[in-house]
Amino acid sequence: MINFAQTFIDALSLGSLYALAALGIGLLFGILRLINFAYGDLITLGAYALIIPSTEAVATLFIGGWPWFMVIIAVAVIVVAAALLSDLLVFRHIRRADPATLMIASFAVSFVIQNVILMFYGSRPKSVDLWSNLNYQIAVGGLRIPLLQIVTILATLVLMGGLTLLLKRTALGIQMRAAAEDFRMARYLGVRGNLVIGLAFAISGVLAAVASLLLLSQTGTLSQTMGVPLMLFAFIATVVGGMGSLIGAATGGFAVAFASVFLQAYLPDDLRPFRDSFVFGIVILMLLFRPAGLVPTKALVERV
Amino acid sequence: MLEVEDLAVSYGGTIALAGVAISVKEREAVCVVGPNGAGKSTLLAAIAGGVPPKRGRIRFDGKDLVGMRAENIARLGISLVPEGRHVFGTLTVEENLFIGTYAMSDRRHAQSDAEQLLGYFPRLKERWRQPAGRLSGGEQQMLVIARALMTRPRLVMVDEPSLGLAPKIVDTVYETLLALRAERGLTLLVNEQSSDRMLKFSERIYVLRNGRILLHGNTADLQDGEAITRAYFGFDEHDISATSEAAA
Amino acid sequence: MTDTAQSRFLRAALPVLALLLGVTVITALVALLGNDEMALTVTEALVRLIVVVGLSVFIGNSGVVSFGHIGFMCIAAYAAAWATCNPMWKQLMLTGLPVFLQQAQYPFWVAVAGGAVLAAVVALLFGAVILRLSGIAASIATFAFLAIVNNVYSNWDSVTAGVSSIIGIPTVVGPWTGLAFALGAIVLAFWFKNSRFGLMLRSTRDDPVAARASGVSIVRVRLAAFVLSAFIVGIGGALYVQFLGVATVDMFYLQLTFITLAMLIIGGMGSVTGAIVGVFAVTVFVEFFRFLEAGVPMGESVLALPEGSQEIALGIGMALILIFRPKGLTGSRELRLPGLGSSRRAMAPALPTTGATARS
Repeated sequence: MINFAQTFIDALSLGSLYALAALGIGLLFGILRLINFAYGDLITLGAYALIIPSTEAVATLFIGGWPWFMVIIAVAVIVVAAALLSDLLVFRHIRRADPATLMIASFAVSFVIQNVILMFYGSRPKSVDLWSNLNYQIAVGGLRIPLLQIVTILATLVLMGGLTLLLKRTALGIQMRAAAEDFRMARYLGVRGNLVIGLAFAISGVLAAVASLLLLSQTGTLSQTMGVPLMLFAFIATVVGGMGSLIGAATGGFAVAFASVFLQAYLPDDLRPFRDSFVFGIVILMLLFRPAGLVPTKALVERV
Repeated sequence: MLEVEDLAVSYGGTIALAGVAISVKEREAVCVVGPNGAGKSTLLAAIAGGVPPKRGRIRFDGKDLVGMRAENIARLGISLVPEGRHVFGTLTVEENLFIGTYAMSDRRHAQSDAEQLLGYFPRLKERWRQPAGRLSGGEQQMLVIARALMTRPRLVMVDEPSLGLAPKIVDTVYETLLALRAERGLTLLVNEQSSDRMLKFSERIYVLRNGRILLHGNTADLQDGEAITRAYFGFDEHDISATSEAAA
Repeated sequence: MTDTAQSRFLRAALPVLALLLGVTVITALVALLGNDEMALTVTEALVRLIVVVGLSVFIGNSGVVSFGHIGFMCIAAYAAAWATCNPMWKQLMLTGLPVFLQQAQYPFWVAVAGGAVLAAVVALLFGAVILRLSGIAASIATFAFLAIVNNVYSNWDSVTAGVSSIIGIPTVVGPWTGLAFALGAIVLAFWFKNSRFGLMLRSTRDDPVAARASGVSIVRVRLAAFVLSAFIVGIGGALYVQFLGVATVDMFYLQLTFITLAMLIIGGMGSVTGAIVGVFAVTVFVEFFRFLEAGVPMGESVLALPEGSQEIALGIGMALILIFRPKGLTGSRELRLPGLGSSRRAMAPALPTTGATARS
């Protein structure tokens, strides 16, 4: 018997995770027209930063052993630094390039990050215990909900709220929105291009760090490509929701999660392993029939 | 105030400007006239830092602008209103207006500046909190001019202010530009396709065609327009009638 | 110089022949003079050459970046595996295979042709749907395609052995087989590039509005390139598994996609010469780093680069090319032989006389 409410909460929690990652990707696409394939690897990097570099199968916690708020801050700093570095070393030098070149460049950055992690940590997946006590299930009504899911949803709400405040109320935020809409015009008005871009990378780094920690708490496993599925789905979420629109990215995240969770719950057994293919298929359908996404923005003309 | 020497710009293989020289003195109103594709927009964009020139010098108060970032050029006191209005459609009128002020070092005047400009463009006040994308063409044009002035520029460059607007609105735009010039001591450099307006508006004219300056002089000396037509089109009116007679 | 059709053809053909000769000579030198390990390396490089040339047929001519072609390689590879691996093993492990595949073992040619044709058919169906999308959207769709193929093949256990491998494929492919198919792929790529379809396709890349105004159907010409490129890449896939002897789904996913794209970008996206140069440059580069990783004895100690260096170096190399020479080492131009006059003139065949207007 499939419990609808349980499935709903699952979808909400997964959607939160996807929304966080989608916001990170959407932010970079909005301002830079960059589809950052390296985003998933930033998530992976954040998770690996928790342990001491070694090739052992059992990981020794390093930063991971600190108090929780310090963990968040430390991981965020590391991921943001990596994101800014990728801009400084690579993306800054190809600002005027066409989107295809930007995509391929991000592919290269992704490849490098994955292999740097491989070099320091070996290729064997490692098990890590990060806040596993969050998997404790609390009873609400007739449902048993893992605490982690509630934390995920709350964290996402807080971050989304913070991001909205930043974009709507602060001078920097308004400049970012202007730059996302018309980068060149914003610069003609004195908006500092590199500052706005750096900020976008930094914010997306923070979102990636949080997503990374939530993901790790849930799975307990570190692997070189752990961030890739999340990035793929986040990417799909931005396409489905509408590239260049942050509301679209978040909406897309929830939409994809709901599709995924409900497909998982209601697909016949033998089709269940192919659930992801159905989700990817939805992307293609969206591109064909509603390329502007679910939440069309006026700013988007020929973005996709 | 502004000296452009031997400016050359190309886009890939296409040459947009092939060695252009203009100069604008303080408080002047100068027009650049030419047909579509002449390179007028490229000229303004190059001065504002939007496209990198292949060669040439652009000096503003003696300072070389080539290679400077657009946002830094804006900070020096040059404001460009590009062709096609370019409002930030999803930002409100208020946010559009103040966008240029965030990067300024001294923001104290921002509020009073805005109020003064709204005096010239009262319609903007009515639409203060609406997204700029919903304004009409004329309102948007007023918005982008006001927005450009919020950065307290000394040189304002406007690319084809009359494009896509009703004549009456264009008149208002030009009157406002001249009034603001008188009030604030602005220098104006304007691209135009229409020769009428330019004759009424500016003190000096450059005719640009195929990336080169073909003619320049004081408006007063070029009143009959024939020399301009010749430069603009490459032939003058008498030639046109002669050709059609021959064809008949 | 009289511009007869004959002399034009000759001028176009000579650079191609030069390239073919170059590839043959390099292969022959390595295969005849090198050891067994080098023969393996050069065979793998030739297979990759086929794949990258196939990529260039689509990406180079259409300007649309496809992340999904390794999916076609996977499809063709598994088809070849199904055709040639041991029937007893198949009956045991791949219970979902149709009878004609499960109980028989087919010769090399059938496997290659079958695999390539299957890939081409899938490309025809998929391409007809997505090639109407704009450049970036189409690229995203091809990425989704790669992910779908990976997902389906990883989970369809009864037919693909899921995440484990199909083994026991007869390893009949060596340097000379690889060379033969590589030469064929190069010729096909040049033929397409200079054909009506190739010209029309490149016009859509350079000036889509003008192309459409001249009556070029963007979807049709893109589809032609897509199908041909999938066919060529498919050949590469079928050869690959008959070189390795095993087929695993994970071989055909992000890593290989990156390497083949890197080869094409580094060499020059827009030309067949670029594909060849790219494969050569990257192979030499990677082998050099592999050599360094294995360790260079210096005096009494061994100086070795840590594992993963070659991939990092490749990533960095690709980033550098994108920054400093985005058109690749060849500038996306074809080989020009000195003294033969303008190769651009030589390369252009007679323009189609129906429909399209000549644009000078």
